[in-house]
Amino acid sequence: MAESLQIQLKKGVLEMCVLALLSKGDNYAYDIASRMAEAVGMGEGTIYPLMRRMQNDGLVTTYLQESGSGPPRKYYKLTKAGATALKAQISDWVAFEIAVRKILGEVT
Amino acid sequence: MNRANFIAQLRAGLSGLHQSDINDIIADYESHFADGLAAGRSEDEVAEALGDPARLARELRAEVGFKRWEQQRSAGNFVGVVLALVGLATIDIMFLLPILGVMLAVFFVIALACVGCVIAGAILLGNLIPGGWDLMMGNTALQTLTAIGLLSGGIGGGALLLMILDWVARALIQYARLHFRLFKSANESI
Repeated sequence: MAESLQIQLKKGVLEMCVLALLSKGDNYAYDIASRMAEAVGMGEGTIYPLMRRMQNDGLVTTYLQESGSGPPRKYYKLTKAGATALKAQISDWVAFEIAVRKILGEVT
Repeated sequence: MNRANFIAQLRAGLSGLHQSDINDIIADYESHFADGLAAGRSEDEVAEALGDPARLARELRAEVGFKRWEQQRSAGNFVGVVLALVGLATIDIMFLLPILGVMLAVFFVIALACVGCVIAGAILLGNLIPGGWDLMMGNTALQTLTAIGLLSGGIGGGALLLMILDWVARALIQYARLHFRLFKSANESI
């Protein structure tokens, strides 16, 4: 039960975390996936459907950039709509977190 | 599972999509393997970390299907959206089928009515051309107005119907995304 709650919580904030990573600078999927895998245990392959959805929703755009070795890399860049979405999600998250903490504070 | 195996399973799961979409997706995963190998991981390790290719294919297929619908609202793309939703299994098919069935029947009837209005309007207008049959209705003004009313009603109704269909598809997509992301079985990694 505890595990399922944790997984559902993580899934809910995947998009916010990826938006937050991109707000610090453009990045490519492999790097985003490794960071997310390390931080919240996300399956690395999940990054691609997620990025595709965020691209469909206009939250990120892509561009190709030459890499030192091998073919050019696909970079993801936060759009204006993405930055707005990130702000809204952070404020939702913080409000939620404070509310939950308040309730938990009463029992622990 | 090695790289070739993973890519083959992914490709199998994506079959039926547009070739350009498939190539795009495969290129993403190929470069993921390349990056992983460059970082000193083995093909098996990368494949393991990526997760189940069949499940990824279902998710990707859904995203591509939704995008196609957003780009072009054709009957074929609507079927694509429905199939993708069923593939995700986030919407119970037993729950979806009756709703879709009733909805499609209602849409079909309304669409027929719209086409009927347009045809009737056109006939009435054609009837106005002098030298043909006698007027169907009492006077020219009445018949002209009725014809224009039927034509615009039919066309407007059709446009409204398309808008409603679009809204329904979007609502289903939103629902599916939410549930797919939040309520997949807990024993799988996210």
